[in-house]
Amino acid sequence: MFRRTGTDRRTHSKGDHGKGAHGAGGHGAGAADVALRLVKVSKTYGSDDSAVTALDEVTLSLARGTFTAVMGPSGSGKSTLLQCAAGLDRPDSGIVTVDGAEMTGGTEAELTKFRRNRIGFVFQQYNLLDTLTVAQNTVLPLKLARRRVNRDRVRETLTAVGLGDRLGHRPDQLSGGQRQRVAIARALVTEPSVIFADEPTGALDTRSARDVLRLLQDAVRVHGRTVVMVTHDPVAASYADAVLFLADGRLAGEMRRPTVDAVAERLAHLGDDVMAGA
Amino acid sequence: MFTMFTLAMRSVRQRPGRFAATLLSAFLGAAIIMTFNSMHDTAGAPGVDSVSANTLSTAAGVVGGYGTLLVFFAVASTLTVNVRQRSAEIELLRCSGATPAQLKRMVVGEAVAVALVGALLAVGPAMLGGRVLLDVFQDSGQVAESVDHTFGPIALFSGLDITVLAAAGAAFLAVRRATSGRRRSRGRGRTFLVRGSLALGGLAICITFVLSSTDAALMAPPAYGAILLSVGLALLSPGLLRSLLGRLPLRGPSGYPAVHGLRARTAELAGVMVPLTLFIGMATATLYMQGVENDAIDAAGVPKSVDAKNLETLNLTVVGIIVVFSCIMLVNSLYAATTYRRREFGQQRLAGATPGQVLGMVGIESLVLTVTGVVLGTGAALAGIVSFTTVRTDSVLPDRGLGIWLGVVAVAVAATMGTSLVTAWRVVRTPAISAVALAA
Repeated sequence: MFRRTGTDRRTHSKGDHGKGAHGAGGHGAGAADVALRLVKVSKTYGSDDSAVTALDEVTLSLARGTFTAVMGPSGSGKSTLLQCAAGLDRPDSGIVTVDGAEMTGGTEAELTKFRRNRIGFVFQQYNLLDTLTVAQNTVLPLKLARRRVNRDRVRETLTAVGLGDRLGHRPDQLSGGQRQRVAIARALVTEPSVIFADEPTGALDTRSARDVLRLLQDAVRVHGRTVVMVTHDPVAASYADAVLFLADGRLAGEMRRPTVDAVAERLAHLGDDVMAGA
Repeated sequence: MFTMFTLAMRSVRQRPGRFAATLLSAFLGAAIIMTFNSMHDTAGAPGVDSVSANTLSTAAGVVGGYGTLLVFFAVASTLTVNVRQRSAEIELLRCSGATPAQLKRMVVGEAVAVALVGALLAVGPAMLGGRVLLDVFQDSGQVAESVDHTFGPIALFSGLDITVLAAAGAAFLAVRRATSGRRRSRGRGRTFLVRGSLALGGLAICITFVLSSTDAALMAPPAYGAILLSVGLALLSPGLLRSLLGRLPLRGPSGYPAVHGLRARTAELAGVMVPLTLFIGMATATLYMQGVENDAIDAAGVPKSVDAKNLETLNLTVVGIIVVFSCIMLVNSLYAATTYRRREFGQQRLAGATPGQVLGMVGIESLVLTVTGVVLGTGAALAGIVSFTTVRTDSVLPDRGLGIWLGVVAVAVAATMGTSLVTAWRVVRTPAISAVALAA
């Protein structure tokens, strides 16, 4: 089972740990302030000759109440990083702790229970259930975890993402941006320690993308969540407090208070750094 | 033409597993048709007395007719699933410039090839089956001992022709739905079908009361009535479920998505409900009516006539065939429906459902379906049984106990729950994140 060393997650849900601009690296932060910690996490796909090292002993820790973007070229391991950190995939070696609790390679059911109490997801393809309405999709994680559903709070959350008048709609009656906002509301209602967003704006037009990114910012600043976002878009990354760069499965630098131009510049030369470092 | 045919043959050769269900239906269908039609050949041989010839031809005629219909439905059901599973491949071909006519040729070509293989494989078993069937008729004295089994041109060609034609027709319909590009509204056709089958079923039940208790054909109207009512009620069931589901007290973490999922998918449930209801209605009605008939003959104190024995053999054979084919259709539709939901299951798991909860949801769904099928099928069967029993005997209900019904229900439950749960369990074994990505 999972060991919990941190204090109870629910006590941190009021946004009283507003360290929004604290940056991502946070190595000096005390254990209780760390939302996500990876220690020497490695993951290799395939075997023997065709083996590809997607993650190579990645170590990082993210403070509570921060918004971090993870960037890197295709194949740099950013999706693998997100999946291993979020408990969707099992690393070959290394330790992942969320809110002080260590994620271990238990059964799929144990991993699921670990995830649903600590982690929220926002995906590029929304992953809303077509058979459920907006309101039903939003409360689904609570229902599955047998947690009490506070209807007023759900309505409040959906109103906050601008969908207060769409509670009875089905996902296929909504635009992409609206669907992604439902996904964000769904990630917020369980009050998770960390929200992982995988290319959340990848399928959206610029205006919807901006709305979604602002909502992710609010999740950090207003609700005190910790957000980790994988993206290849410098504009999206500029909404984060800090950017972690990944190349060939290793951390290749960090940028605080990123701007669009600085991120694009850094990305363009990411290959050079790795070559020089090798 | 040549290109599409080559493509079709390649497709069959490289992925034989995908055609297993179609091959099995074609094989079983052809085996049944050939087995019974070889009775025509046997009856036509020189030196067969008229009573024997009559028995053999009746058996061939009745079961051969059923067989043709069943082959068509079973092959159509498996091909519809096959085409739907390959929607990505068909879409790719469409984007690569294949016209709807070319796609039609490809799918029909595949179906014909598979059906032909199935029918040819069935020749051997059908020869053996024909011999066994003749033995059964001879043992019960329905056919003279001197008659020898003949497997002739009628058996061979009817088997091959019917199977291949049924497969071609079914494939044509399946691909037309897939390539027409837009959804045709099926509302009016469906309503007509429901009303038609319910009205005809009711009429057939009413006709029973016009016949006399010793009429040789007394069993036919209630049997057809039960079949038609089963189909009509099964087609009605999606609408019925939609209004009922809102009132079911299913809350828990598995019940909640199960109820909402079923409500949203009710329109697609007909493919599962028709074989399920038909199976229960048909098997229950025929078995009980045959029981009542046997009891009535015993009570009259006369030995069973050849016609009565014929009827019993035919009834049991027809029930057996329908059971097998309904099961194939049921298992195939359920397997397809469940596999098709890989992405949905992945999404539920990403939302925090454990594999156990997903299986729980599937279990609840199949339970709701099974109960609905049992209720409707039993209702349809009761209509037939009650009308037959009332006319044939003095009582209203057969004096037979619930044993047969329980047996039929047990088979239905095992097929429905077993297929859904085993398939879902296999689907859930893929990691949630790749399940979502695969279908994206």
